[in-house]
Amino acid sequence: MILSHPRFAVVGHPNKGKSSIVSALAMDDSVQVSNTPGTTTKRRSFPLSVDGKILYELYDTPGFQRARRVLAWLQKHEVRADKKHEVVRAFIAEHKSDVRFNDEIELLEPIMDGAGIIYVVDGSKPYGAEYEAEMEILRWTGQPSMALINHIDSSDYSQEWKMALGQYFKMVRTFNPMRATFVHHIGILESMSQLKEEWIDDVKESIILFEQYQTQMIERSASLLARLLYDSISMVDKLSIDKDEASKEDKEKIEGKYKDKLRGFEIDTQKRMKSIWKHQHLAIEQDILPFNGLDLFSKESASVFGLTRKELMLMGMTSGAMTGATIDLLFIGHTFFIGGAIGAVVGATGGYFGFDELSDIKILGQNLGKKYLEIGPMKNKNFPYILLGRALYHTSQIANRSHASRDKIDIDRHLDLESVFRDKWLTDDLKNSLEKYHKKFRTSDEVEAEILKEYDLMIKDILRGLINDR
Amino acid sequence: MNINSYIDLYQVLEDNPTTIEDNRAFGLKHKSLRGKPQKQLLAWADKYKSKLQKPLISLSFSSYLYGITITLVILAFIFGLFSGMGLLSYDGKEPVNIIYFIAMVVFLPIFTMTLTALSMFRINQTKSILMHISPAFWMEKILGWLPSSIKDDIKEFKINPLLTNWIIIKRSQLVALSFSFGLFVALLGVVVTQDIAFAWSTTIDITPETFHQFLYFISAPWRYLFPSFVPSIELIEHSQYFRLGDRLSPNIISHASSLGEWWRFLAFATLFYAIVLRLLVLVVSHLGLRYAVSTSILKLIGTNRLLREINQPIINTNSTQQEALFVPTHDGYEQTIEKFKEYDYDMIQGLGMRYDELLVISDSIGLSSPKHAIVGGSNSLDEDDKVIDDSSGDILLFVKAWEPPMMDFVDYLADLSINDNVKKVIIMPIGTLEDDYKTTDTYIDIWANKLSLSEDGKVWLKR
Repeated sequence: MILSHPRFAVVGHPNKGKSSIVSALAMDDSVQVSNTPGTTTKRRSFPLSVDGKILYELYDTPGFQRARRVLAWLQKHEVRADKKHEVVRAFIAEHKSDVRFNDEIELLEPIMDGAGIIYVVDGSKPYGAEYEAEMEILRWTGQPSMALINHIDSSDYSQEWKMALGQYFKMVRTFNPMRATFVHHIGILESMSQLKEEWIDDVKESIILFEQYQTQMIERSASLLARLLYDSISMVDKLSIDKDEASKEDKEKIEGKYKDKLRGFEIDTQKRMKSIWKHQHLAIEQDILPFNGLDLFSKESASVFGLTRKELMLMGMTSGAMTGATIDLLFIGHTFFIGGAIGAVVGATGGYFGFDELSDIKILGQNLGKKYLEIGPMKNKNFPYILLGRALYHTSQIANRSHASRDKIDIDRHLDLESVFRDKWLTDDLKNSLEKYHKKFRTSDEVEAEILKEYDLMIKDILRGLINDR
Repeated sequence: MNINSYIDLYQVLEDNPTTIEDNRAFGLKHKSLRGKPQKQLLAWADKYKSKLQKPLISLSFSSYLYGITITLVILAFIFGLFSGMGLLSYDGKEPVNIIYFIAMVVFLPIFTMTLTALSMFRINQTKSILMHISPAFWMEKILGWLPSSIKDDIKEFKINPLLTNWIIIKRSQLVALSFSFGLFVALLGVVVTQDIAFAWSTTIDITPETFHQFLYFISAPWRYLFPSFVPSIELIEHSQYFRLGDRLSPNIISHASSLGEWWRFLAFATLFYAIVLRLLVLVVSHLGLRYAVSTSILKLIGTNRLLREINQPIINTNSTQQEALFVPTHDGYEQTIEKFKEYDYDMIQGLGMRYDELLVISDSIGLSSPKHAIVGGSNSLDEDDKVIDDSSGDILLFVKAWEPPMMDFVDYLADLSINDNVKKVIIMPIGTLEDDYKTTDTYIDIWANKLSLSEDGKVWLKR
């Protein structure tokens, strides 16, 4: 099968981090990364596709198991250098159904179908002669190749590896999938593009797309955070009360409900954030959103036909003024607008004092008025920064995390450094700018889409600084 | 683009019947809509609204809104008609005072339209008092008294307050327009069916000249096109009415035939101030509502995500294939030794090591043997076979603990075990030189698991 797009087979000894590298390069945290050697038994393709069009394809493959036997077979068929790849094909053809060589067939097949070779070794362990059989087999395939030195532990044997790998591969790079940043990722793609001239354009296009993808993810994250802040600050909750006055239980109930809703917003945002950054399998430990020291005032309120006392008073005032003004107009201003003034006073007084009476009027068994406890919008000025700080920290942890890593994130442990982190993103000027928006969110008025967009852009700038700061 | 489009989009977004792939496919198919987010969203909603459960909320909502509006419009028309008839009621004894009618068709519309303009300027204020005094505002309250099933459907739908305000403003204009039509019809009806004497009367000291200037000003919109529809100073002088008990002024009686001419002015004043201007405000409110719909649809929750999914290419890096994994079922290896025996081993072998390295390791651990050999690694299979042939008795096999035990090792071990001269093979995983050849339990466990696959009685593991 001849495929036009570049393909790369990630091969090597078992348990040297092939799956981790694929996981990091493909940004897929579903790849099983195990300490137990030989867990990958079938090759798996990870295509980078844009609207269904594949730009390049990575293969995660099982490790070599019987390299010396394969090499022995190949060496029995001593041929000229230009025919060696045909011997490898012959090996595949002859041993396709031989379970002993299952792993070798799985890794050699994509190579013989035209995939470039990415040979992975562990630079934190000493070089050994047993690798030579593998590298020799790969040389027999005749395909373009490069070596990646992974560092599973802290020890460093890179130099001896580089000396050895240099004998077999034209390019040797170091790549730690656990700590790889976006820049490292792009660097490896650049190297991969150099393997074959025909692949340069496709891989370069992929690099541009990855950069766009990164921007898209930051934009989506910023929108999500902006919405979280807007929803949380502006949220108002109500609890209908039957009695004349709200009880302590009523107040506790509405406060509990309010807190739960805000926590729900945060949890939902975190879940979506993991999805944006393709870290669905990532385990994160974090305490629920705290409200310590934040006074959440709930106030009793009532309405008649949905109007508060103040609104009813204003309505009465306006209606009275209108009526009086009509009389004034009939006198073409000769009343010196006394009619309007008297109308306004009478209307406002009627609205204010008539509120309770109107509330008690029953129509079809239902009171016109309703009493309720109201909580929100969030008036505490510090709350937005607590929420935003947590959200930014959470986002930066996810965004800066390699897809190869399988450790749990303990956000609370790191949030001990809250003030350090806060200094990283929150300056006085920024706080002033953000406060303008928070003030708007605290009003009950509908916030213009443009305002939210401006806020969104500010969050995006903050995120960009935190995410690139790796 | 209307309120129904908005509600349909809201409902489709709530129902979320599409996948990212569907949305991107939609974007690619409708390339001409790129850069027009509102049109994209509406076209998308239009495509998928057929998947919604019937009846659509938009239909229920607009049907009830229409029902209530039409009721209010009819009531306003009847109210206007009767108000007009009341204002123009003529008993044949005293002329009709036009000042009331002018107030109703000129000042009241101007006043309410000013309030409307103020409401438009403060349209973003969700609790604007100007909205609350509008009759259309009460329509929302009336919805609360609808039958419960319909009420629930509509109640679930949360309309943008900006949109609500525009709906109220637009419906208010319709109601006011209908009221004005009622007045106009009443005027025409009364004029056609009765011979009315119009006059103007006020207790305030206003001269006919002042009143003429005032009416001349009011007539500005039509006085150049229809000069005869502007009351002349003579007519104003002739029709000034003073309350004189049951007697009329001789001036009025002598010009009784001309007093009816007022109706043309009143008709034009009604037509212009109460109807044409109101129509203009209605058009503005209609445009305002359209604009509000177009901006509000971008504020609906989910539109940002949807637009991204429509416009941004789907970049996928995930595998489409299921992962096939080998999960070892064996756990641990029972044949282990903790201490080396007292006597020397018959042969010490090193897997994947150099010969000198093997000697150093043996020496370092304090073991000796008459024979040392390297296997695996850079050895050929034939060289390994020779070592196997040469093996006998108890064999100690050093392996690099950090290297995973591969099938190459398993094959060698099997071949070695087959040799009848070999009594016992002890596998000893060792660490690196930097770690003084000591290794960790984790690595030893990996080797133990591998050995457990073969369960060979001759093979032991040194822990």
